[in-house]
Amino acid sequence: MRTNSLTRNCMCCRKIVGFMLFMMACVVWAGPVMAHRAIIFAWVEGEKIFTESKFSGGRPVKQGDIIVYDLENNQLLKGKTDDKGEFSFEIPKRTSLKIVLIAGMGHRGEWTIPVSELEDVAGPQTEITTSQKIAPKKAEDQEETCDITLGEIRQIVEQALDKRLKPVMKILVESRENRPTFRDIVGGIGYILGLVGVAVYFNYRRKLAEMEGKKTD
Amino acid sequence: MHISEGILSGPVLISGIALAAAGTAIGLKKLDYDRIPRAAILSAAFFVASLIHVPIGPSSVHLILNGIIGLILGWGAFPVILVALTLQAMLFQFGGITTLGVNTMIMALPAVFCYYLFGRLVGKRPHIAMPAAFACGALSVFFGAVMVGLALTFTEENFLKVSYLVVIAHLPVMIIEGIITAFCVAFLRKVQPDMLPGYSKQTSFTPSKETAGD
Repeated sequence: MRTNSLTRNCMCCRKIVGFMLFMMACVVWAGPVMAHRAIIFAWVEGEKIFTESKFSGGRPVKQGDIIVYDLENNQLLKGKTDDKGEFSFEIPKRTSLKIVLIAGMGHRGEWTIPVSELEDVAGPQTEITTSQKIAPKKAEDQEETCDITLGEIRQIVEQALDKRLKPVMKILVESRENRPTFRDIVGGIGYILGLVGVAVYFNYRRKLAEMEGKKTD
Repeated sequence: MHISEGILSGPVLISGIALAAAGTAIGLKKLDYDRIPRAAILSAAFFVASLIHVPIGPSSVHLILNGIIGLILGWGAFPVILVALTLQAMLFQFGGITTLGVNTMIMALPAVFCYYLFGRLVGKRPHIAMPAAFACGALSVFFGAVMVGLALTFTEENFLKVSYLVVIAHLPVMIIEGIITAFCVAFLRKVQPDMLPGYSKQTSFTPSKETAGD
């Protein structure tokens, strides 16, 4: 009985299933061009924080509002993204920062920079820039190189590293964006089928109860 | 058309949940067991349609398909869209769990509204049915955009300004959805006319009597 009514319904929908399969094929084919979420990424580079905002389809968020909060939700600064969806600012305060993107039309994204990331980059630097020159005694015959302070070396190395690491950071940042995968799509459809199963089960129980009720009558 | 978490104020979220729950209750009541597979297929269609991105226009928009869902299911659009939106929020992080009620209202209410507006017309002769189907698909997106504006009004933004922006962003989708809805209606009129609301029973085939016992 259950299979009977089910097959009848399925027959009804057979043609539409075909249409659905076509739509699914479209989705798989459409691949990376997907929407609909606003995402913001932020990373620290020297004394600055860089942010990049985009919709999950890959389109940059143009002229979106960026608001930076500290952990107590005090607003530290506010700005707008440029046409590439980028916005950068000086570190306003050495605490964990919550960077919120308001992309308009109900889209919002959030990114937190923990305080540890800020300390790593900028904390020791200020101390060492004031430190003494390195070992002028050891290499007296190389006076020119000796004029460089430890702090300056650190700064130069950091700048060079920032430059080199920028593309790597970008790749990392892009990989953090979790696009819907094929597995997600199939999983979602699986859930829907499961719900149908539950509905059919209760229908079957109801019908069974009705039949048994008739028998006892 | 999915509103993210953390934008709307508490009262808007709560009234959204309450209204969506009421709509879903009515929808479940009207959705008899024989139409469950149909509803599931439409729910799956809605679930994946949001992944079809329309790269035209100023913003990032996607297909919604609420017009055709409303046309076929009527009030059943509420539970169908709620299920699909829940899965989208969980699996794709579109929208959010707290905004589920509001988002359901944004997409399901226009669907039901368009069902009452155009439901009877799509069963008529083609020169009435086709424009009606197109209008149903396009207007259900339009009303959805207006609902987004309405939801955002209560928090901070100006209703006319936001609605204008959302409607402009969704213009290409409205046209595409209109065409898809018209295409679906034309298809259903040929193969399964009894799925459409305005079709009189005499043209539809009567399902064979269930043989009890097996």
